[in-house]
Amino acid sequence: MSEREFIVPVGPQHPALKEPANFMFKVDGEVVVDVEPRVGYNHRGIEKAMEARTYLQNLYIVERVCGICSNAHQTCYTQCVEEVLGMEIPERAKYLRVFMQELERIHSHLLWLGVAAHEIGFDTLFYYIWRDREVVMDLLESVSGNRVNYAMPTIGGVRRDLEEANFPNYHKMLDTLKERTEYYIGVCSSEKTILERAIGVGYLSKEDAIRLSAVGPNARCSGVSCDTRHDLPYLVYDEIPWNVIVETNGDVLGQVLVRVKETLESVKICKYVLDNLPQGPIKEKYSPLGKVPEGEAVSIVEAQRGELIHYLQSRGDNKPYRYKIRAPTLGNIPSLVERLKGGYIADIPIVLAGIDPCFSCTDRMAFVDEGKDRRWEMTEEELRRYGIRWYEK
Amino acid sequence: MLDAVVDVFQIVFFPGVLFIMSYALYCNWISRKFAARLQNRIGPLHTGWHGILQPLADFIKLLAKEDITPAAANSTVFSLTPVVVFALPLAALFLIPIQSVSNLWSYSPVASFEGDLVILLLLLTLMILSIFLGGWSSANRFGAVGAERAALMMLAYEIPLTLVAVGPAILAGSLSISNIVGWQVASFTNFLKAPGLLGLALALVLLVGVGIYVVCLLAELELRPFDIPEAETEIVHGWQVEYSGKKLALLTLGHDIKMVLAAALLTSLFLGGPAGPWPIPPIVWFVIKTTFCVFGLSNLSVLFARFRIDQLLSWAWKYLVPISVLQIMAVVMLSGVM
Repeated sequence: MSEREFIVPVGPQHPALKEPANFMFKVDGEVVVDVEPRVGYNHRGIEKAMEARTYLQNLYIVERVCGICSNAHQTCYTQCVEEVLGMEIPERAKYLRVFMQELERIHSHLLWLGVAAHEIGFDTLFYYIWRDREVVMDLLESVSGNRVNYAMPTIGGVRRDLEEANFPNYHKMLDTLKERTEYYIGVCSSEKTILERAIGVGYLSKEDAIRLSAVGPNARCSGVSCDTRHDLPYLVYDEIPWNVIVETNGDVLGQVLVRVKETLESVKICKYVLDNLPQGPIKEKYSPLGKVPEGEAVSIVEAQRGELIHYLQSRGDNKPYRYKIRAPTLGNIPSLVERLKGGYIADIPIVLAGIDPCFSCTDRMAFVDEGKDRRWEMTEEELRRYGIRWYEK
Repeated sequence: MLDAVVDVFQIVFFPGVLFIMSYALYCNWISRKFAARLQNRIGPLHTGWHGILQPLADFIKLLAKEDITPAAANSTVFSLTPVVVFALPLAALFLIPIQSVSNLWSYSPVASFEGDLVILLLLLTLMILSIFLGGWSSANRFGAVGAERAALMMLAYEIPLTLVAVGPAILAGSLSISNIVGWQVASFTNFLKAPGLLGLALALVLLVGVGIYVVCLLAELELRPFDIPEAETEIVHGWQVEYSGKKLALLTLGHDIKMVLAAALLTSLFLGGPAGPWPIPPIVWFVIKTTFCVFGLSNLSVLFARFRIDQLLSWAWKYLVPISVLQIMAVVMLSGVM
């Protein structure tokens, strides 16, 4: 390390990070030379907890993996269980799940856009966007009864139905969202102080995005066309007309544009669902303590932040034998490091926020010794003793 | 004897320390409330009439909080900085003409002498240096980065700030702020009596000066888009990061007084100071004009995203400095013609 270089720690607690994670920035004056990410401050043992609960109880746990993509996790989970059960859910339920998923995408992208504006110090835009986001929050509340954890998907279908009488109102709300989002596209691509902070900042080339396995909007803004909804269609995404948004900028502006344009696509999908909702039941029967036959399943869903993967292994019990979650942020961290290198300290927050990180969903624990190429696990008791020994030193 | 009593009254109560402090809290409330309304929020609401006592409540709350000095900090410089940050703008405001105590209809500063404009500009520069020292002595990496940014930013705006302030002094032929105000009043009355092309040209040139001055004052006050040294999301309030309790209270109050100073400078150098076309006591004119300036400053501060330090420096040296040089040249030429 040269004399001019020193290390700036960002996190685990830092205003730019809404959740605990640690990044050690080696900086030279204002320029970032190297980054060392460290996650794992918020490990909650959700996978283990799920193994001790029945499938129906797990619905509630899996929803709480993340506050923002709760519906994505629940959809992914129910798809896993239904696949092992060999259950085909009603057509109307599929449409309703798509409707919830896209509403959640709208709310999440608008939330992100506000946070991005805050990170570059444009609080006025942040307040405006979050005010308009209330429209979709109201819509979500009116559909599901909740603003955050909607509890809509359940094993075998969805829990609540839409009422025909509300459709004109929903259309009106979606129109407002469309109009406001178009306005923000205009603001973000013409306001000079925003462009100064967005163009060329946190650049990631298409080759690097593929090499470092970026997912979701983080990859799409670098010109990689990857969207699970299009590549591996689930639910009814292959029946609905919509486009994959790909931008080629690769910088923060690209991330903004991908997300606002995706919001418009989501509004389009929601309106299509309202117009083409098939009649019929919304739920297949599933007994609360029902056993799931032996087998395993992988389910992939395009959450707002990218590809979300759930894996279920069942041994014929009414509890999962093994459950594994891979949240999109984990896939985005290597490319995030690449984006941060060579930038300025002032750009750290917006580039960090650029991948829309969600560390709580991502955190996991494994013991690795890189030098000896060894991995091992510890029981709770061993871990406790290890902790005591560590602090006695 | 009476003179001494009047002097003490002037310094301690009006228009001295007490008046300036309460006026600073009022300006804080005005700017918060106005910015909030522009951002579609409500702003302070519960303490006093429409939350007017909120800044005072914040100040008292901070006074009661625990005061921590980091073990690694240089504690002398660290503790001295808040006092200096608080005292410097207060001292500078003593040089601004506000209201005479003995005569309701005339204005005079607490202290006035030929060359007080130079002292005032010196005090403005010292404020940045004290900020740098405060950030540096706190022995925090964010503090160090913030201090470094404050010093770098000074390179960007200090020159235009000083150059433009000299303009009115050249025109008035005096380096005393009271005389500059007097010249403005006289030339404004003359202009009303006999409007001419020359006067109009002068007004336009000075308007450019006001523009440059407002930009520099936004940077001096660390308001957006120039809140680079404290940039909350980037470096966690930068140079202020280690301050807490009483020291932070003094820093915030010092910042508010700086806001008053900025508005008062704009008023006295370009807007005719505490004088006006209608017979109202100078203090009322002063309040009206400075409140208007605070409105303007807080309005500008909600319109933009934050600059990056390198962008600010290149922008300032590409545009701000050349324009201010051209402006001062135009002023000199016009003063030769007049």
